[in-house]
Amino acid sequence: MLASRLIPRSAIRTLPSRQLTLSRWSRGFASASEEKDLIIIGGGVAGYVAAIKAGQEGMKVACIEKRGTLGGTCLNVGCIPSKSLLNNSHLYHQILHDSKHRGIEVGEVKLNLENFMKAKETAVSGLTKGVEFLLKKNGAEYIKGTGSFINENEIKVALNDGGESVIRGKNILIATGSEATPFPGLHIDEQRVVTSTGAIALQKVPETMTVIGGGIIGLEMASVWSRLGAKVTVVEFLGQIGGPGMDTEISKATQRILKKQGIEFKLNTKVVSGDTTSELVKLDVDAAKGGKPESIDSEVVLVAIGRRPYTQGLGLENIGLELDERGRVIIDSEYRTKIPHIRCIGDATFGPMLAHKAEEEAVAVVEYISKGHGHVNYGCIPSVMYTHPEVAWVGQSEQDLKAQNIPYKIGTFPFSANSRAKTNLDHDGLVKILADPETDRLLGAHIVGPGAGEMIAEATLALEYGASSEDIARTCHAHPTLAEAFKEAAMATYDKAIHF
Amino acid sequence: MASLAAACRISSRLASGRAARGMCFTTSSRCLAAQNFIMPALSPTMTEGNIASWKVKEGDSFSAGDVLLEIETDKATMDVEAQDDGIMMKIVSQDGSKGVQVGTRIAVLADAGDDISALELPADEQPQQSAQSTSQPAAPVSQEEPKAAAKPSARPEAAANGTYEHNYPLLPSVGLLVHEHGISKEDLSKIKGTGPSGRLLKGDVLAFIGAINADRPAKVSSQLSKLAHLDLSNIKVAEKKAAPAPKASEAASKAPKAAPKSEKVLVELPISLENVVQLQRRLQDSADVSVSVATFISKATAFANSRLPAVPHAPTTNELFDELLGLGKAKATKFSQGAYVPSIPDYSFTPSRRTSATKSDIIDILAGPTKKSSSSPAQRVAPRLDARLAADGIHTFSLLVPKEEKARAELFLERCKLALEEIPETLI
Repeated sequence: MLASRLIPRSAIRTLPSRQLTLSRWSRGFASASEEKDLIIIGGGVAGYVAAIKAGQEGMKVACIEKRGTLGGTCLNVGCIPSKSLLNNSHLYHQILHDSKHRGIEVGEVKLNLENFMKAKETAVSGLTKGVEFLLKKNGAEYIKGTGSFINENEIKVALNDGGESVIRGKNILIATGSEATPFPGLHIDEQRVVTSTGAIALQKVPETMTVIGGGIIGLEMASVWSRLGAKVTVVEFLGQIGGPGMDTEISKATQRILKKQGIEFKLNTKVVSGDTTSELVKLDVDAAKGGKPESIDSEVVLVAIGRRPYTQGLGLENIGLELDERGRVIIDSEYRTKIPHIRCIGDATFGPMLAHKAEEEAVAVVEYISKGHGHVNYGCIPSVMYTHPEVAWVGQSEQDLKAQNIPYKIGTFPFSANSRAKTNLDHDGLVKILADPETDRLLGAHIVGPGAGEMIAEATLALEYGASSEDIARTCHAHPTLAEAFKEAAMATYDKAIHF
Repeated sequence: MASLAAACRISSRLASGRAARGMCFTTSSRCLAAQNFIMPALSPTMTEGNIASWKVKEGDSFSAGDVLLEIETDKATMDVEAQDDGIMMKIVSQDGSKGVQVGTRIAVLADAGDDISALELPADEQPQQSAQSTSQPAAPVSQEEPKAAAKPSARPEAAANGTYEHNYPLLPSVGLLVHEHGISKEDLSKIKGTGPSGRLLKGDVLAFIGAINADRPAKVSSQLSKLAHLDLSNIKVAEKKAAPAPKASEAASKAPKAAPKSEKVLVELPISLENVVQLQRRLQDSADVSVSVATFISKATAFANSRLPAVPHAPTTNELFDELLGLGKAKATKFSQGAYVPSIPDYSFTPSRRTSATKSDIIDILAGPTKKSSSSPAQRVAPRLDARLAADGIHTFSLLVPKEEKARAELFLERCKLALEEIPETLI
């Protein structure tokens, strides 16, 4: 009875073949009363990748997701929809402001925000359905509902369609992800005071917008709405944009470029309080160094001060699992909590909150369960900001190295000296490579410029394989490409660049 | 026989597949008419074997499928067949050679029809190169090559100790340095690679030729390998959850990786609940309102927790940032919200939070340290507790806190006492 309520169709289909649970084809359709090899709570990037991988490893796996679509924050309200908006707003902006001197004359250009958003939704729904298909294909059961721990082996699922079910698992994986950190004293209504979720779904282009937090999410959203016509101010507490991980030199270069695009920055500035009672949202800000307090009025305020682990309603207290002071689930190096068969990966635990990091961990954790070993190289996880130009980096930044007193040498190459960037009339930015001064081994690569997000894959590969800057420089790069700038920067690191 | 031949073919494929090494060298050796014949791996686990006897003599011709030699392993004795027609040019490891490593040269073969007197012996490509592609007559190499073997570059190697097999192709920078400095293959195999999986890096060769400090490559490697792991060295368990004493100690014992928690001290204070019980009765009688003692205690706790003096410590950058975001527990200001939960004998609870409690929160509130699986609703537990608490007027409220928070905890208990003994009315 329970089985048919949980997964009506698949359960009925495989009822006669229940003895054949070893068969590759029936494993995904095991009845619910049966113990699973792995239950995954959360169908975000960490959860769904783990589900697919576990299915491929021949485990009986169930993935519980309450959103109604798979893919989590990334696919539904994060990375993917924002990339749609970024790409299309860039096109719009370019048609509007960057066509005449290219010899293209356009007539009246109009923004249809409704269709603009529709394009985003089409992309998202296509991809979430694709993920659902992949789960099915790999025999992973997908349960739409909210999971919570009853005890160490049983999960109660409040099904989205109503009703409740209990599943048992030999292993349980917490992959519940994160949520936007709210700003104290500002009520988020996702209309006027929004998080990234509201910022990708505004009904109209606001006249003015203030972004609290100049990190990656804040700057991407600032770019979108600024291109569509909003006057955007970014208020950042730290002394640099892009978050503390971005190389300071690159951060400064990025700030200059974005400023040229019309985004205003207030660094070293703290938002003291907010007031939403009047027509415009009023923020009182306090400049940390020598500035005087002022207030900023804007139609929309985006709160992008970071994200925090989301474990609410998971029933961790029922199994006595602890969180650390920032709400992260405490794990060991094999992602085990103190209850060894319960593990946690992704944003809900330690490490950078990045989809690709979660994805790596998902594969590793399943391998830990099935084979006893897995691998994620945390020193080699790239970060990308998809503004225009893009900013991307991997490895250590100059300030990291300085802080640890590690010697380094630098090679840089500006895109203004790159033939492809020049011909594209899109040559803001530079490549910066950091290497060990003696062994020449690559320590970090930092790029701001067109195509940085794609180019960083090369740097990541080089870093993963322990390459020296000379190795990169002696590897042939196609001409004319933007990637040649990366090669030239590598040349500049161990010797001299040819074209600069 | 056919199956053995197949096995040999597989093994030679295995040998060549073991690593895609020797690409550049293979090319050169293909140009030579004579080829090294290596000790084949007759099973995937075989690492060495003995040569029982050669079935062909030096100078003999053989054709594909002929048995060339007999190899003994710890498991079996097997014949090795020729993959192609050819001539036995030189036998390097004679009959009876023991413990010949897989991949070492045991003979040199020439193509059928070659004049072997006019051919030079190829260099021993061990250990960089193990086998040619399967289409070639298996052609390989020995380490215990007798000194007689002519070529200067084919000097015997120290085998096992102190030599390293390197992945080929070499990194471009390494290949260039090798050429520039004329580093022989033997010398190269003496260099330890510090890259991932022992890959030979530019720095390793630079250190070998003395261009940089000898220990630098290893240093860089260890620096980078530290970054490869999640930093789980300084986990601080959330204070909120850790508050009940048994739970906290459990946490400390459980996570050895967690930062060594500073010493804990027990702070106690006897508090009388008489006034509370009286007030409770008055309310019951006059207004017919029933308020449980638990409610009083949790309200008193909330009252006592508000604006406690901050724990003295230097704030870290993270804390400063957290403070800005309102995440941190301790404001940099003098006061902060406490999260203490006193433990009272026979009684366990957590204070109600200001936020509206959801279902799971109620469970949270009631899941006390002593009743692990307690999920019974408050209403049911409260009357029983009331009876017990009312029975004897004075209870010892205690707190287990880090040493530096002692004063703070004492103040907390004082306030609880004040609230419960002197001014219980203000709690409702």
